[in-house]
Amino acid sequence: MTYKKSDQDQTSASTKVKTTTDLESKLKQLAASVPLSSIGTEDVYVDQAGKVGVMGNYQTVGHPEERKDAREKVTGEAVFGPDVEFPNMLYAAVYHSPYAHARILSYDLEDAKAVEGVVCVLTGKDVPGRFGAFIADQSTLAVDKVRYNGEPVVAIAAETAHAAKEAVQKVKVEYEELEAVTDPYEAMQPGAPLVHDNWSGYAHAADFTGRDGTNLCDYFPLRHGDVEKGFEEADIVVENTYRTAGVNHSTIELHVATAKFDIAKNRLTIWSPTQSPFMIRKQLAGLLGLKQSEVRIVCTYIGGGFGGKYEIKIEPIVAALAMHCQGRAVRLVYNRHEDYLAGCVRGGTVIKIKSACNRDGKMVAQKIENYFDTGAYSTTGPRINYNAGLAAISPYKIPNVWIDGYTVATNRQITSAYRGFGMPEYTFAFENQMDLLADKLGMDPYVFRMKNIYHTGDVSATGEILPEVGLEKCFKAAAQMIGWEKGDWRRHVTEDGKWRAKGMAGGIKLTGTPSSSSVVVRFNDDATVQVSQSGMELGQGAFTVIPQFVAERLGIPYENVSVVPVDTMYTPYEKTTTGSRVTFHVGNAAVRAAEDVIDQLCDLCAIGWEADRESIRFDKGVIFGPMGKKLVVKDIGKTSLMKEQDPILGRGTYSTSDIWDKPDPDTHASKKPTVQWFWAAQACEVEVDPKTGKIRILDYAAAQDVGRAINTMNCVQQVEGAVVMGMSHCMLEELLDDEQGHLLNGNMVDFKVATSQDTDFDIKVALIENPVSDNLYGARGIGEPPVVPPAAAISNAVSRACGGRILSIPLKCEKVLDAVKKGPYRKEAE
Amino acid sequence: MKHCMITTKVNGKEYVRAIPVNMTLVEFLRDELHLHGTKEGCDEGECGACTILFDGHPFNACLVLAAEADGHDILTIEGMADDDRLHPIQEAFLEAGAVQCGYCTPGMVLSAKAVLDEFPNPTDAQIRTGIEGNICRCTGYNRIVEAIHIAAEKINAAG
Repeated sequence: MTYKKSDQDQTSASTKVKTTTDLESKLKQLAASVPLSSIGTEDVYVDQAGKVGVMGNYQTVGHPEERKDAREKVTGEAVFGPDVEFPNMLYAAVYHSPYAHARILSYDLEDAKAVEGVVCVLTGKDVPGRFGAFIADQSTLAVDKVRYNGEPVVAIAAETAHAAKEAVQKVKVEYEELEAVTDPYEAMQPGAPLVHDNWSGYAHAADFTGRDGTNLCDYFPLRHGDVEKGFEEADIVVENTYRTAGVNHSTIELHVATAKFDIAKNRLTIWSPTQSPFMIRKQLAGLLGLKQSEVRIVCTYIGGGFGGKYEIKIEPIVAALAMHCQGRAVRLVYNRHEDYLAGCVRGGTVIKIKSACNRDGKMVAQKIENYFDTGAYSTTGPRINYNAGLAAISPYKIPNVWIDGYTVATNRQITSAYRGFGMPEYTFAFENQMDLLADKLGMDPYVFRMKNIYHTGDVSATGEILPEVGLEKCFKAAAQMIGWEKGDWRRHVTEDGKWRAKGMAGGIKLTGTPSSSSVVVRFNDDATVQVSQSGMELGQGAFTVIPQFVAERLGIPYENVSVVPVDTMYTPYEKTTTGSRVTFHVGNAAVRAAEDVIDQLCDLCAIGWEADRESIRFDKGVIFGPMGKKLVVKDIGKTSLMKEQDPILGRGTYSTSDIWDKPDPDTHASKKPTVQWFWAAQACEVEVDPKTGKIRILDYAAAQDVGRAINTMNCVQQVEGAVVMGMSHCMLEELLDDEQGHLLNGNMVDFKVATSQDTDFDIKVALIENPVSDNLYGARGIGEPPVVPPAAAISNAVSRACGGRILSIPLKCEKVLDAVKKGPYRKEAE
Repeated sequence: MKHCMITTKVNGKEYVRAIPVNMTLVEFLRDELHLHGTKEGCDEGECGACTILFDGHPFNACLVLAAEADGHDILTIEGMADDDRLHPIQEAFLEAGAVQCGYCTPGMVLSAKAVLDEFPNPTDAQIRTGIEGNICRCTGYNRIVEAIHIAAEKINAAG
């Protein structure tokens, strides 16, 4: 894309950005590298140089309290999935399919069974039943057919891990290889090999939209206005096809589970680092013919989840083995190669998109067809299609929107939830389009975005009146932090011949709705509190922020509150730890549980003080009664009020069933598709070496609407980590397979994730305060939203620097070089 | 499998054990001594989760045979704190917010110790090189680098 000088002058950034709000003047101080302490403002909190302060006016909420889980993690005491061990335990190993698509003709297991120490060998014939959150298409071990390279085919339990692995080497299976399909767009074409013959033959959810005789297992349409009319009438139309590669979560803790079957009690216990203990309990019970009360999930710490430990994965395999092993515990830990093959991934996408605007810079229409590769089984693909489809309306107000989301089965690794849940992919596409439209208009891409962003009270493309939209502040903060107003966002060449430019992107995402959470707190007579809940700690700080909610509401010190380990036999129901939902949802339930305790404490005071219950009131940790009587809750142990009194149990639940407006299945029109939208904007400056294609990120700015931070440190951690993960997806990560669907790079050398050497750039973080009315302290989810914009922001900067658009990620050097060679500045590179 | 006898010192304590000759050091630490603080993430020297100090040098314990530890000194995460008192590196990880899921943390702390033993006042580049073999998927690394700087200050201040 080339620029006309007149166009640039006409829409210079500096004239549009420089207004005089407090926010901007405060952010200017940041640009001048003023220390954090002097930047505190009412509505934006900026972190710099590793210093993290306080947001809001509370005693613990908004403070960077030390994580409750951190001490045991720095000492090595924290128990993760592979740390579970029992006396007399058996070790499992799995034989995986070497083919991506093949019929199983026969098994020869004699040599495997003959290995000394082997106790049990199972195939798909021994483990009936199928599971799946939306379509029950997956068996524990392959039956008749394998559908991806790595599908578990034979499971073995042995006295030692070495014996189990040796037995796997001796498994012989005869196959008839079938033609494989490995691209979601090709898989949708007539005549493509079928991964599954017949979707409706499987048990499935009521709103199932799969099409028999095709690879389409879920279809999502969103309709708003008339896109075709919009394209006809618009001044500028840009149409492209974007691709994003498949990526693996690459959590450092591998997939692991341990199972034990208690024959006398008919009870299966699973120890797992799962993000969804209640979901896997339900699915396992259904699969194994047990009652939900007969399945117990004991959760360990999660050594990295990012969605990868959301679904039932290897739990059925260990469960099946345990049920065949006479009450002995069985542990299965995948190795790294197995994790790449048979763990789960974020599948690739093919996104066809057409976007239009008018000369005045107003968006007119956008049509998107997104083909999600869900891999060999549907898993959570339909849910990704739905949640991401709703958020694909983009952060921009567009009068005509058409979205078709296709979840397509291929013979590739199974997709599961992955941090961002489809939105980094959609965002990569529509944010590149925003830059292309801005360039065609000759308009500053920031100014163009600001003309189109949603504001509070706008009606969205689904018909919702949007509450509390923080986009404007996010964009202003990101632009200011990266120095966009200086105007050097445009391509420029350094003295040593490197090409530089800046790029930006907005972020939108929703949280799954409806869902529910429950919390039980036990208030002891020394004013300590134990919180029972089932939101999982996977590094995001759940076990820290939930105590902050409880401590704040009760007015007791944060140190007084702890979280009990999650165990479906004892801790209350939680939907899942996904979708950036725990802080908000469990937080709401925790506040209600604390309020239940307050009520009961007031009752006790009324009795103890022989006063009318009506005359008792609670305020900020103190209970006031008549005649000047008062009780400081944290000092209750110094009084006799709770003598002869059991600990007080407080109960709180929170559900979004009542506020949800179920979207229309044909248009997805809804006045309330989600309880909470997330808003972000990020910007960066990059440098491209036109001779090698190497990209260097020089500076990065991330602004996140956090509602109100419950723990500022946790929020900053989430944003920084998400930026690097998004950068890694954008620049490094790509699952490669050959035409037969064999995974070619299932290890951490060939599938490259960011190391400390790839991240030597400053990440400036702005937490935008924009309190959410549905939460007492205003909290908004934070885990996923900051991973939505990075690939779009970085690729916008890189494409601008190259002078040519790169339509797929990752931005490998060869693609960059190609863009340079085909671009208008190629002579400069010679 | 053939067995051999080894005498090795782990966190200052001497162990004499008969072990299979093909047992790796990470298996020895985790399965034989039940020291679960050392994590295993790839079993092929790629992720750094199993980093321990072998006579003071950072090694991937998955790439070392337990038999090779015969006559050598091993330091694992369990040997970092002095009873209840955290090591300054551990304290610094808490202060800087360098811990999230925590799975890479033990290996990262030991790599940090190796960096600081070699460079008492490390540069960013020395730190980044020192921990380049330790993959962290949560933090984005900047806070870990910051933690190691803070730890250097703490250690130097304590003399």
